[in-house]
Amino acid sequence: MNIFDTMKISASALKAQRIRLNVISSNLANIETTRTPEGGPYRKKNVVFQSTRLDFGDRLDQVTRKGVQGVRVPAIVESNRMPRRVFDPGHPDADSDGYVAKPDINPVEEMTDMMSATKAYEANANVIKAAKRMALKALEIGR
Amino acid sequence: MAGPVFFDTSMQMLRKVIELRQKSQQVIASNIANADTPGYQPRRLEFEKSLARAVSGGMNQKATRPEHLSTDGTLTGITGEVVTEKGAVNVDQEMIKLSENQILYEAAVQMLNKKLALLKYVTQDGR
Repeated sequence: MNIFDTMKISASALKAQRIRLNVISSNLANIETTRTPEGGPYRKKNVVFQSTRLDFGDRLDQVTRKGVQGVRVPAIVESNRMPRRVFDPGHPDADSDGYVAKPDINPVEEMTDMMSATKAYEANANVIKAAKRMALKALEIGR
Repeated sequence: MAGPVFFDTSMQMLRKVIELRQKSQQVIASNIANADTPGYQPRRLEFEKSLARAVSGGMNQKATRPEHLSTDGTLTGITGEVVTEKGAVNVDQEMIKLSENQILYEAAVQMLNKKLALLKYVTQDGR
């Protein structure tokens, strides 16, 4: 068992939360985007979190293997929410009825999600700090 | 198991505690890492009871659960067991568990250091 495994587990979470934050920032940035390469308005993206033990399993003993899992983002999926239709006849992308299809992104939802990602990131950074302190403490044994 | 007098039970226990606390830290780290993973249930490494049993001469104890068989009643045999808790991960609770575990780890290291310092003092003829 490696003393750095705790840090690796938390590092996987830091990476996952960072991806989540990137997706949130992309959602917020494209809140008014009506044109995308795929056509139509931007669709809100969601990250999928999945626990994983693949990277750690072979290094852990039988008991800890059951309890230790990292986290990864296996996919970023498009939300299935339909675009909202806003009446704006002057908009270049307005249809014949004067409606524009805009992405259905709720800024409040994105902001809370962003805070949640930040807090989760901080929590995992603190776990790394604790692991580091423990590793350093172990070096003091017998000094 | 019972080596020279200075590598006594308490020293071996401290060694075991350090090892188990480190494992426990990994399990807690895993819980915090997966706080946002849907369907993930928090886990806990439990070893306190089997440790106490081993220290208080657990050779006479009977195994009450099949997973206790791995513990042969001696300190070295303790591996702890991972239990899955119900409900979702509560990050505040996990952070408290994390600090608690860390403090207990450091306490064990400190006690081990004290014991080693004492040994050193003796081997250096009180100098």
